[in-house]
Amino acid sequence: MPHILFFTRNRSTSVEHIDGNSVSACCRLQDSLMDALVEIKVQLPDLALTDVRGELYRSDKAFAPDAMESLRRAIGIRIGPGLVKIMKGLVGDRENMEELLNMLDECCQGVILSFTKDTLAKAPEDREKAKEFYSQLLKENVRLYDSCIAFAPDSPLVEGMKPPQV
Amino acid sequence: MLKFMRNKTVGIERRDKDTLWAYGVLDDDIYGVELEVSIGLGDMVIRSIEGRFKRWTTPECPKAIPVLQQAVGFCALEEGFSQKVQKNIGRKGCRHFANLLVECCSAAERAASLIQGGKAKKIPAVSKSPGGKVQKEVERHPEKSPGKPRVDQAKDRGGVVIDLHVHTYPASLCSVANVDDVIVEAKRIGLDGICLTDHNYVWDKALVDQARRKHAFLILRGTEITTDQGDMLVFGLETPIQGIIKLDELRTLISEAGGFMIAAHPFRGFLLFGTGQLGLTPEKAKERPLFNKVDGIEVLNSKVTEKENRFASEVAQRIGLPGTGGSDAHKVSEVGFYATRFFSRITNEKELIEALKCGRYEAVAFKKEKDVF
Repeated sequence: MPHILFFTRNRSTSVEHIDGNSVSACCRLQDSLMDALVEIKVQLPDLALTDVRGELYRSDKAFAPDAMESLRRAIGIRIGPGLVKIMKGLVGDRENMEELLNMLDECCQGVILSFTKDTLAKAPEDREKAKEFYSQLLKENVRLYDSCIAFAPDSPLVEGMKPPQV
Repeated sequence: MLKFMRNKTVGIERRDKDTLWAYGVLDDDIYGVELEVSIGLGDMVIRSIEGRFKRWTTPECPKAIPVLQQAVGFCALEEGFSQKVQKNIGRKGCRHFANLLVECCSAAERAASLIQGGKAKKIPAVSKSPGGKVQKEVERHPEKSPGKPRVDQAKDRGGVVIDLHVHTYPASLCSVANVDDVIVEAKRIGLDGICLTDHNYVWDKALVDQARRKHAFLILRGTEITTDQGDMLVFGLETPIQGIIKLDELRTLISEAGGFMIAAHPFRGFLLFGTGQLGLTPEKAKERPLFNKVDGIEVLNSKVTEKENRFASEVAQRIGLPGTGGSDAHKVSEVGFYATRFFSRITNEKELIEALKCGRYEAVAFKKEKDVF
């Protein structure tokens, strides 16, 4: 068979720190069947969503007439664990909302990663010093423990540390 | 100027009549990863997977590559597929690989539905039936000796220590703790009682009473409910809440039921940074409208950092709301890490709610205090 792609997808998420008080993020999804955009504005320090906007440019699926409007139910919610679950609950059973909610989640993940980036940028290049740096991060944050292979109980980054007492 | 950007691209090729081949790239400011995944067209089962890191953070990240093989055999149509990938590839390997794998499979699913004329259907996950499972557990170990509940011993000391926040499987799918094992552990470490607070799930009172008799231990019921303003521990609710509820509506239900509502882990941060880094101060945080709706604040929770617990405690003090402690255990070994010490005796749910409303209690680092691990 010729190696011609049958289906293609691009998903791009960008985050801008507007000023000390607000952040905006945008997720654009373009694939063979769908083209849509979700934008959010977030207020600091609570990471509360102050605006959510969606646009559907092209889709093979039928969306509820108020699909984009229903995304605005996220306004007031704070970015944090369970945001998609909360949104799914608030948006309800509207048809084909899953992808739009995924895009909203991508925006929120992007906001989180934009702050994470600042922390990671401080990591030293030297391997031993990097190990110390990440071990220190782990000591300061119980959630990192066993969160991925780098912080698994048998990882050298965890070496010499007692597992968090939980 | 952009602070962060993530681009994900996926191309789906039909290698033969039965196989889709997905090539995916995730490239953002922090990570660069690639995946090649072969997926059965008919069943959407992952047949093979290869991954590569282009950029990564810790020296240990490359060890996540072999973990990808655990995804071979996963079915992309299975309900809960995304969570399964996050759990098995994300937590055990790398979250960015997990993210890209979900993207690749989602694209493949769309491609397959295009080929099959929209025939790809989700396969429902096995339904959870916590009540049934607990019943079986209880039946398997019939009560040997009714005995007196342990709390009766605590009465002599004038109070009880209860872990107010415990999750069990399968009532909470995120937990791996069997309820019987949880109770045995709670007794072992010297707690006087536990409160089962599974997610959006109300335990059957008869089952809990049965377990209580079987173990001769104080077992109470609560529920952790997800609202638009975060998770709430509620006590006194007899009807499960399906889906997400607005905090205002939950407040009304709890008031009508004469119950009690606690904001659970209200300042839980993220993996690599906490809310403090965003400039949140107790003074600003106490203005959050949710604190006008709750009766208490969980100020000791083992799933958040010590800083976040201290922060919650400061906010509770400034508002004048009582603080509670609970382990938020999802594993047996986590039970009792934090708990709440009540200065009055509690032998049932009515007394628990009365005690919570009375405010005579404190959050305690139970395991540290008792030095039991």
